Amino acid sequence: MATGVPSYKVILHGEYGVGKSSIFRRFMNNTFTTATGKKSTIGLDQSTRTYTIDSQDVKLTLWDTGGMERMSFIGSSYYRGAHAALLCYSVNNRDSFTILSQYILDIVMNAEGAKIFLCGNMSDQVDSMSENDLRNAVTDSDLEQFTSQCEDVLSGVYRVSCKDGTGLQDMFEDMARFLHRNSMSKMTLRRDLVQPGSTPEREEANSEKRRCC
Amino acid sequence: MDETYDVIVMGTGLKECILSGMLSVSGKKVLHVDRNPYYGGESASLTPIDQVFEHFKKSVPENKYGRGREWNVDLIPKFLMANGQLVKLLIHTGVTRYLEFKSVDGSYVYKGGKIYKVPADEKEALATSLMGLFEKRRFKNFLQHVQDYNVDDPKTYKGVEPNMVAKQVYEKYSLDANTQDFTGHALALFRNDEYMAKPCVDLIKRCRLYSDSLARYGKSPYLYPLYGLGELPQGFARLSAIYGGTYMLDKPVDEIVMEDGHVVGVKSQGETAKCGIVVCDPTYAPDRCKKVGQVVRAICILNHPIPNTKDGQSVQIIIPQNQVSRKDDIYVCMVSAAHNVCAKGYYLAIVATTVETSDPEAELQPGLELLGAIEEKFVSVVDLLEPIDDGTENKIFISMSYDATTHFETTCDDVLSLFKRITGEDFDFSKVQHTDTETVE
Ligand SMILES: Nc1nc2c(ncn2[C@@H]2O[C@H](COP(=O)(O)OP(=O)(O)OP(=O)(O)O)[C@@H](O)[C@H]2O)c(=O)[nH]1
Ligand SMILES: [Mg+2]
Repeated sequence: MATGVPSYKVILHGEYGVGKSSIFRRFMNNTFTTATGKKSTIGLDQSTRTYTIDSQDVKLTLWDTGGMERMSFIGSSYYRGAHAALLCYSVNNRDSFTILSQYILDIVMNAEGAKIFLCGNMSDQVDSMSENDLRNAVTDSDLEQFTSQCEDVLSGVYRVSCKDGTGLQDMFEDMARFLHRNSMSKMTLRRDLVQPGSTPEREEANSEKRRCC
Repeated sequence: MDETYDVIVMGTGLKECILSGMLSVSGKKVLHVDRNPYYGGESASLTPIDQVFEHFKKSVPENKYGRGREWNVDLIPKFLMANGQLVKLLIHTGVTRYLEFKSVDGSYVYKGGKIYKVPADEKEALATSLMGLFEKRRFKNFLQHVQDYNVDDPKTYKGVEPNMVAKQVYEKYSLDANTQDFTGHALALFRNDEYMAKPCVDLIKRCRLYSDSLARYGKSPYLYPLYGLGELPQGFARLSAIYGGTYMLDKPVDEIVMEDGHVVGVKSQGETAKCGIVVCDPTYAPDRCKKVGQVVRAICILNHPIPNTKDGQSVQIIIPQNQVSRKDDIYVCMVSAAHNVCAKGYYLAIVATTVETSDPEAELQPGLELLGAIEEKFVSVVDLLEPIDDGTENKIFISMSYDATTHFETTCDDVLSLFKRITGEDFDFSKVQHTDTETVE
């Protein structure tokens, strides 16, 4: 905020185990781990990268859920001020896909005006799937039907693999570009927010005078 | 649920969430449960507005009050001192990153039936009719001394020994009764006059906190988070989760399981989670608490700012007890759409005090009268509960109910004291380390 570089908050969302923390890790330091469950999420908070869009620096901050979606509610504060949500599902898990309309409702209710991006993860798994697995996979026509239903709600649709890294860096940059161009077309700035613990510079200089009486 | 934890925390009020976060950060395995399907417990912010009416068992008016989702109504409103303990906790734990704050427009004090702005700078101090010209000079000298005072350096005492009582210090500076009221209640934020007979260091410390907080943003010493106080417990809950804490909401608690006089687990819906320590608010262990008083609060919806506050969009008014012949102060807090807690054109004012009579609502009258026309009023009288023991024997650590004060200093005192009782040591802020990374492409 202080530096004047436009900054966009993107929250990860979706069922547990679909790879949100893996996407976060690809964003943070481009790594991958096979650890599962709570362990793979601990310590992940938020991470910021700077992209150059139309020859201007912009910041993208990605937030992980903290695993709070596992057994309870993620809480309204996670959504506050989000410019976008990256809605994740696993391409080999239909349940994680069919539940997305509920998540969209959550996002629309809690983060007004946030853009929604759709991300199918684990694309590497499709080739190695058995007949049985395939029946549980999300098909192209599933996706088509869903995206046409939510056409005006979705700002981007991606397919990635955190394991082999396919599609991820392009997706992040594409989101940054979309969000930045979108905001340039309707710039709103908030100047009255204060940072607890820090004193605005202008006021530091004459803080002696500002003391009561 | 059938698992073993170091600590089970019950209730997601602010105190419990701060403790949950601090304990997770300290490496403890924490399970945090709440019987309600929302965060915040007694200190939640209710949203949408329908919930407020339902909470107070009133029928929901139709097509009034704008969009319901724009409302976040604090059940226990308080402001943060910009230099206070909660802000320190927020900064050291990194929880500030989850929240946005704005400073509060103005702080007012009640004197002889009128309200006066607490001067925020020299210009306002010169102009105020709160005190006469000579009194102003004496008061200025007092404040200057407070600012320079250092308990560790006798050279700064200048005749004010640390063991002198507050009253004697006022007398030394010849401050009159009104100025004493103003200083003790609107600056030092004492709830009653008991401090007068106590060592003056506390008074000096509190006046310093006020002026240091004021120096930060200039308008008033107070901050308030956008979207209401309910954001605070959520921020600390996220901290706890990021350090490995497990969250379960909407989880009824049947029983605290004891063995040999200390806690061994918590039973919920037929399952038992084992633990060596329980932390909870009084509602989860009512038989282990005693009532020490009552607080009465009236949440009022207005369609105008509070009169005589220069249309302030967020204000605090303190009514010192002496001014209305009481033992405890009456507090008024008002917030508005400027802090995203209600629809545009509306204002949320809360009047609160410690109950002294059998007609608590009537005790709020001096505060309610300042508000002008009131659209809607929700009154609650709640018991102030305190644990009967300090928890070190049975390992059940219970927080105290939230008092009537409009700031978080007493809240933090309780949290830090609980942390020390639980772990045997003071909280080590250096243990907090976030994965807050920034990469430049
Ligand atoms: N084959 C394959 N496995 C993946 C991929 N992405 C994630 N995984 C694995 O899927 C598991 C779950 O991934 P996480 O990133 O922990 O999922 P999450 O959504 O953060 O889960 P929660 O935090 O528990 O809600 C881990 O074992 C990952 O290694 C992928 O693209 N391909
Ligand atoms: Mg995760």
